[in-house]
Amino acid sequence: MKRNFLNFKSFAILLLALGLMTSCSSDDSSPSPEPDGETPTDPDPEEEEEARWITIAGAQMGENPGDGNGGTLIYSVSSTDAKDPSVSIDPFNNGFTVPSNRTARLQASEDGNTIFNISYAGDTGGNYTKYKVEGGQTFTQEGTNVSIEPYVGSAPRWIKLFDGDQTGAAVYVSTEHVIDDNGTAEDATDDTYVRTEATMGIVTLDLVNSQIIEFQEHSVPLTEEEESNGYYISRIDMPTLNAAGDKLYIGARLSKVDPATVESDREGAILGSKTIVLDYPSLTNPTVITSTVGHGNTNGYRSINAFEYNGDVYQANQGDPEGSHILKIGADNQYDDSYVFNLDDALGVEEAYILAWRPAANGKAVLAYRHAGSAEGAAGAQGFFALVDLNAQTATLIDEIPYDPDFYLFQYQGFAVDGNEIYLTQAPVGQDGNIYVVDTETGLVTKGAELVNATGSHFIGAW
Amino acid sequence: MKTLCSWFLFLTALSVFGQQTSGTISGNVKDESGVPLSFANVTIEGLKVGVLTDLNGNYFLEKVPTGKHKVVISFIGYGTRAKTVEITENSLNIRIDFTLQENVENLNEVTVNGKSQKTIIETEGFAVSAVQTEEASIRSIQTNELLNTTVGVKIRQNGGLGSNVEYSLNGLSGSAVRIFIDGIPISVYGSSFSLNSIPPSMIKQIEVYKGVVPGHLADDALGGAINIELHSEAKNNINASISYGSFNTIQANANGVYRFDKSGFTVKASIFNNYSDNNYKVWGRRVVVAGLGGVETPVTARRFNDAYRSTGGIAQIGYTNVKWADQFLVGLTVSDDFKEVQHGAFMTSRPYKDRFLESDATLANITYQKKDLFTEGLDLNIHGLYGKRNRIVNDTVAWAYNWNGERAIDFRGNEFQYTWDSQQEGGPTLATIKRNVASIRSGLNYTINEHHKFLLNHVYSSIDREDSDALVSVLENTFTGDRDLTKNIYALTYEINAFQNKFRASLFGKYYQQETVSIDPEIATGPDGNNIIVDDIVKSTTTNEGYGFAASYAILPNITLLASAEKAIRLPNETEIFGNDGDNVVANPTIKPEQSDNYNLGFRLGAFNFRKHQLTVSTNFFSRNIKDRIGLPIESSLNVDEELILYVNQGSGTSKGIDAQIDYSFNNNLALNFNFSRFELLIENQGVEIDVPNTPFFTMNGGLRYSIQDFLQRKSRLNLFYNIYYTDEFSYLNIRGTNTVGDEFFRIPEQIAQDFGLSYTFPNKKVIMSFDVKNIFDKPVYDNLSVQKPGRAFYLKLNYIINNF
Repeated sequence: MKRNFLNFKSFAILLLALGLMTSCSSDDSSPSPEPDGETPTDPDPEEEEEARWITIAGAQMGENPGDGNGGTLIYSVSSTDAKDPSVSIDPFNNGFTVPSNRTARLQASEDGNTIFNISYAGDTGGNYTKYKVEGGQTFTQEGTNVSIEPYVGSAPRWIKLFDGDQTGAAVYVSTEHVIDDNGTAEDATDDTYVRTEATMGIVTLDLVNSQIIEFQEHSVPLTEEEESNGYYISRIDMPTLNAAGDKLYIGARLSKVDPATVESDREGAILGSKTIVLDYPSLTNPTVITSTVGHGNTNGYRSINAFEYNGDVYQANQGDPEGSHILKIGADNQYDDSYVFNLDDALGVEEAYILAWRPAANGKAVLAYRHAGSAEGAAGAQGFFALVDLNAQTATLIDEIPYDPDFYLFQYQGFAVDGNEIYLTQAPVGQDGNIYVVDTETGLVTKGAELVNATGSHFIGAW
Repeated sequence: MKTLCSWFLFLTALSVFGQQTSGTISGNVKDESGVPLSFANVTIEGLKVGVLTDLNGNYFLEKVPTGKHKVVISFIGYGTRAKTVEITENSLNIRIDFTLQENVENLNEVTVNGKSQKTIIETEGFAVSAVQTEEASIRSIQTNELLNTTVGVKIRQNGGLGSNVEYSLNGLSGSAVRIFIDGIPISVYGSSFSLNSIPPSMIKQIEVYKGVVPGHLADDALGGAINIELHSEAKNNINASISYGSFNTIQANANGVYRFDKSGFTVKASIFNNYSDNNYKVWGRRVVVAGLGGVETPVTARRFNDAYRSTGGIAQIGYTNVKWADQFLVGLTVSDDFKEVQHGAFMTSRPYKDRFLESDATLANITYQKKDLFTEGLDLNIHGLYGKRNRIVNDTVAWAYNWNGERAIDFRGNEFQYTWDSQQEGGPTLATIKRNVASIRSGLNYTINEHHKFLLNHVYSSIDREDSDALVSVLENTFTGDRDLTKNIYALTYEINAFQNKFRASLFGKYYQQETVSIDPEIATGPDGNNIIVDDIVKSTTTNEGYGFAASYAILPNITLLASAEKAIRLPNETEIFGNDGDNVVANPTIKPEQSDNYNLGFRLGAFNFRKHQLTVSTNFFSRNIKDRIGLPIESSLNVDEELILYVNQGSGTSKGIDAQIDYSFNNNLALNFNFSRFELLIENQGVEIDVPNTPFFTMNGGLRYSIQDFLQRKSRLNLFYNIYYTDEFSYLNIRGTNTVGDEFFRIPEQIAQDFGLSYTFPNKKVIMSFDVKNIFDKPVYDNLSVQKPGRAFYLKLNYIINNF
């Protein structure tokens, strides 16, 4: 808690300093006025000390409503404007198109003044770029080009570590089935499946100087019994730094083959949730830890899936037959199986599935989820937001936010955290919505700026 | 194979019964000074056949029935000449030469009634372009380049010679466009015998049917069909050519036909060889070399892993123009190709080294054609192929390479290997696909009289596919499923010709039957309690009907209205039905075919002749209305990890637009053509309609040819060619906002490329030399986002032709 307080203090000082710098420079270069009369207000620390940029991202439809494959557009407003329901934000008409063929996985600096992007797929897949947020559609590219494609491919699964916006980490896994042909290369009848070799690659990227820091490759085996039953790690994602800053946790998805035929087996039991633990910053010495509380995958989707809070790391899992859990990895870098936080129980629903979540520094989080009772909307299951307390292990549906059947959160990525307040976007596919600001301490929900949607499109978060 | 054998027996039996017979008339047309006249009209009075003379003034009319015939030659600016000949069983092949006198009278009065074969096809009512290969075959022009200048056709190629090609007809592409060689689906031949490898000199003409496809090209062509008609004339000739040019590109081919006049025994052979390093220069946002720390430096690079080679040929022996057959030929089609792959779908900072594809095909072929079989007016034609084709993807190098063609270094400065141990992400592969293929096309036509005709067509094709990978264990290969596909497509057509040939129409119905079989080996318990491997065989049969019509009406002799419509079908392919384990897609046996209602309405004005000017204008308005599009649903939390994705029928689509073409010529030595194509392509899903991105919706092509007779030497001819190609700006992603920024990242700018060429025919007419410069101004050209195509290139070609020996 002490450490956290210090972080918050230094963060506030940094914010103030940056805010002052922004206000100085913005006197002579204010953002270009918008044709429809939207003039984004600059954060003005003299009037409201906590004002910062909030960047909103929308994903335009490709072929299907809600698929988000038609391009990602971002637009930034001051936090003051973001909270003002009379302000209207229209990124689909006025935004900046993020250079990424598929939906970009965006990250923001802790102060909201920089947006980091690694392009996903296409010719620039794996390219790292950063943009200075200057309000409205103005995002000025900074730094030099660097690509992590040679290390982790053109569709990298990457996350910015919580180390003061210094480092990004991206991971890749490739697999190969190991077969014993019993000395007869041509005869399949006496061949036996041994295991599946999963090789992971991890690269760390210096976000400040746009340079590769480190890259390592490792074999990541499971237990002998798990392997002989055909289980293996098939996808990894969401690197998270522990509180001591000496270990990196990487979420994993397990797959299974039928050892008799080496064909994919979808009927097998779902094992305890697993995480790969590596030494940091050397990225060496991998081990795999297993939870006895949660079952299912820990690799998330597009939104950060695990966060450090109060010395421990809290990790969501997905595809858990008992409904998603928030799992705890203690300071000893092992799952703390005494911590049992089941969302089905906490929310009183069935088949809860965590789609995205984000805690504030006080251990209270906003969590996006779907459950068995979700309506089947235009683009999939209807999503909901809950307010979660990691300490009390409680979760409550946030009633103040409207939940249309077409409101879906599968691709939801970003929650902007400003102190105890968390900013989120709400809009059903193809319909207008609003920014909502949740005060995690008081539970107060403020309806903020209007979000103007476009046909088939949806909003994927606030940064 | 059984089917093939029975056909063979049937044909042999037929040969005994054939009664009627036909012959050929050939010759040469020149002016008074002895200069050959090319593109002169040659018709037989009373018969609706006509051809144009070739570049050397030669003409060739085949399948002329026995009896007396009046051969009429006409040419703008020259008089009309006619000679009567008689074809008898003793003299089936007649040769007559003509000399035309220049006409000094008022040319307004000259009416040319004969129609060339191209004109006949183009006035049947279909939205069709008949592409002539005559001119292209003597120049260094590839078949794909020739097609790309055809109105309504857009070719998207992923690089230089031999690279992957996609064909778009009026905006519809991919599996909506079916390609045929002599009426046989190209999927039977494979990539080694394709439009990338077959030289124009082997091709007689290419017919491009847009939206509405006649019954004789029977396949599930939703958006149209391209039929490549190979040379089938049985006239003695040998031609050979070799072309050499930029990027170490060599293209050679030779064709020969010899027919023994007395017996009708005919030998035909064609061979080709193409090679290119494709080491053209590229640059752009991802052509960079990474140094220490991953810091990137932009470079201009030469492609270093992009070579292409293809070799192939057809040999046939048999009888032509004999009593029992107009053509009876059996032979072999053999082809083989090799293509290096420089990068994936996009040009990224990670060029590939030593990833390549190989394919080969060995096919036995048989052709039987007979006019007036058993009775006058009954024509039969059969063409069949049977054989094997194979394809291998080879990617086993783990070392990383950079755009300088050298081993790449990592951020520490060391050479390194990719985590995935191969060039393309996904791991090393020696994936092999073996296919047994068979296809038989048969057509039976009955002409009741000059007004009514019935045509019955059937195409059978079958592909048995077996996949394996030498880098994968035998155990895994054993349990890899096989997919077989069999199609039977029947078409019945009725053709009518009324009001003194002013009205022509054809009405057709098609019946599609497709059987797909999935063979998935499984473990079962045998009778003695041991585990045994058994095949789990699942069959899926789809049947469907389609119908359509094409009609033309000549309001005036040179104003023709053309209309056509079809309810077209595309049957789901084996992946769409059975899914694909590798992509986590599961089977959907209830998937429906894609359907489209296609309409064309156009007119053709011309040819108008005024003094020495000739002008033809044609245009077509089209609309395609697709229903039940097949696609994958969006990824959601319900299917992302659970491998439950299946292909579904989702939404509809429309393509609407206009094609237009203008041809002008003056005094037969200046020819100018221009065409443009513009359309709007929308897809609709859950009531939401969007523009399809990554589609060039506006293209224009222009061409100019100028001939100079007696250049440098008497009786020689120089042709000068100029071509210009325009593609309007389009975007890989359509950002639909009004005031957005950053969209230029996805934009493919407006492109203009210009080519220049010349050909010189030596006085002996046996040697033609040509020189071509492509992309004169070295402009960057792209068919796909950031995949740059070759810049300026030079080619020299030598042709040697001997006719009628």
